Amino acid sequence: MIRPQLAIAGLTACFGCQLTLLNCEAELPDIADRFNFTYFPMGMSSPDITADFDAALVEGAVSTPCDLETLVTLRNRSRLLIAIGTCAIFGGVAAMCNEEPRSRLLRTVYGPAADGLASFNPAPLERFVTVDFAVTGCPPERGELLATLAALLRGTFPALPAYPVCLECRSRENACLLIERNEPCLGPVTRAGCNARCPAMAVHCEGCRGPVAEANVAAELELLIAKGVSREELVRRLRRFCPEWDYEQRA
Amino acid sequence: MSSVLKISPLTRVEGHGTVHVHFADGRFDRVELAFVEAPRLFEALLVGKRFDELPEIICRICSICSSVHRVTSLYAIEQAFGVEVNQQTELHRELIVNGGQIESHALHLFCLVLPDYYGLRGFADLATVAPGLLQAGLRLKAAGNLIQEMVGGRLIHPANLLIGGLGKPLTTAGLHRLRSALQEVLPVAADAIEQFASPLLAEVSLPFPSFMAVANRPSHSGGEIVCGNGSSFPIVDYRNRLTETIVPHSHAKQCTVSGESPTVGALARLNLGARLGPVAIASLNRHGQKLVGDGITANSLAQAVELLAAVERALEIVELLLAAPPTDCMQVAVTPCQGTGTAAMEAPRGTLIHHFAFDSRGICTATDIITPTAINQRAMERDLGLMARSLEGVDRQELARQLEMLVRAYDPCISCAVH
Repeated sequence: MIRPQLAIAGLTACFGCQLTLLNCEAELPDIADRFNFTYFPMGMSSPDITADFDAALVEGAVSTPCDLETLVTLRNRSRLLIAIGTCAIFGGVAAMCNEEPRSRLLRTVYGPAADGLASFNPAPLERFVTVDFAVTGCPPERGELLATLAALLRGTFPALPAYPVCLECRSRENACLLIERNEPCLGPVTRAGCNARCPAMAVHCEGCRGPVAEANVAAELELLIAKGVSREELVRRLRRFCPEWDYEQRA
Repeated sequence: MSSVLKISPLTRVEGHGTVHVHFADGRFDRVELAFVEAPRLFEALLVGKRFDELPEIICRICSICSSVHRVTSLYAIEQAFGVEVNQQTELHRELIVNGGQIESHALHLFCLVLPDYYGLRGFADLATVAPGLLQAGLRLKAAGNLIQEMVGGRLIHPANLLIGGLGKPLTTAGLHRLRSALQEVLPVAADAIEQFASPLLAEVSLPFPSFMAVANRPSHSGGEIVCGNGSSFPIVDYRNRLTETIVPHSHAKQCTVSGESPTVGALARLNLGARLGPVAIASLNRHGQKLVGDGITANSLAQAVELLAAVERALEIVELLLAAPPTDCMQVAVTPCQGTGTAAMEAPRGTLIHHFAFDSRGICTATDIITPTAINQRAMERDLGLMARSLEGVDRQELARQLEMLVRAYDPCISCAVH
């Protein structure tokens, strides 16, 4: 079997997607045996970004010229480009205040020195390059990352869940936080794959995996507004991981 | 003739950093340590958010330190609103912080530092050259992650830790599972210490660090920060003691305490008399000599001692939770009010400070976050300069290797530093 050449890079992010790979403790020696980590600065020295890659796994949003340079280089050097994590796919937490002027956010932190910083609104990879596959999550589930690597060895991509968190939550027979406890749970509009981790602990879904396809966003808003949650709060919470929802969308 | 040795990117560290060593006429001139990580501007993102949104956002500053970020934010918010949590909640929090410490130290020592002992590129090469040691490290790391996943519900960015309480406490079965997992790795942690006792860096005289650490175990009721010179100050007074400066070459603010460049982390904690369990104390006594007076170079060994101490303490907490009578209500009512809250905790890499101000509705009006690697930044830059000067004339590739290992000794977490 061939040993694919991998690039693993982080842009504007917390390194949690890359750490998730290193958190596959049981599988890590086997992964090391099956892949070449040609460019993986977090894990390996002498990274070579000029190699020809079979796949580049990219974490994080794009918010600096440096991010963009790395992304474009990897797109040009790699047969496949895989977005890993919510930030790379939707913008993620760093993008939650994208409706505010970037200069104001920068000045809040750096004062007048902010003016010398090259930083723009964090944006998903797809805004700049073609993305071949995406593994969502903040962070992604280890199993989904492993399934992706395993599929790469077979020359394919895995089928990841494309349904909402509620489906997994109900099959775990959790109490419904939205209906039974009137909590502002975002499970109905959020992509599954996490096996409803948070609702299983009686913590409502915060939507960290981003919008599920054909989410009935308008109905979710109506339901929660009827329960007394303000639209302002709901929008703020939805924007936490994905700044660009279609609030009028109905399935 | 001037020239620059560029180490870019720094590897086997968390985050994006570079080191530039400037030479003039072949002689060392100066060094710049730049944290070029893209700023995510958390201190601005949090303003305007309601208090209960803060922990979920703030833990995303860093994946490796997400548990301690989350717990520190809870204490700061609870202080602002005068909330006190029960003993069980406190124990769950301390347990997950220890889990984070185990995971972080094991990751750093066995995946990021160990390859230097063998002259390898990284963990993937260890898998063939030193598979037994890598496996031992990964077992320790997995034990830390098991704690984080079971207490936090998710092993990065935990969700189960809430303001005023917990989503779901550990079950007796869960506690038994943790106990056997921790008992299994306790001897592994004890054995690991020898591996990191031998020096890695070129013998260069580095200054005795100005150590700093949080004095007490995590708690919302005050607490102090202690310094190596014997001085101390209350955590709430941190703004009068710590000065943050913006420098043009780094996205992380540099930090001084009374004009000095502080050093925080494992070595600082051990030198300032951290409380340890009996097994860790025995190993500390064996290696105590190496842990003082040798600059930052012994930090990896200090982390190895702490790794053992964290496993030991986690076991103690598991026993305490098993002995504690089960409580039905883990959640204390929280009523927001106008006020400020400040909390500091020891993260794996050192002192972490969160400060928030709220209006009467509990909307966040101001934040301040100071992280260990930002605090260490000046001492790191100073030591890199001293090492580059002492190794003048050494071949550039070897110089770069030594400087990278020195950076690793500090175990920087650059996404935390810039946030």
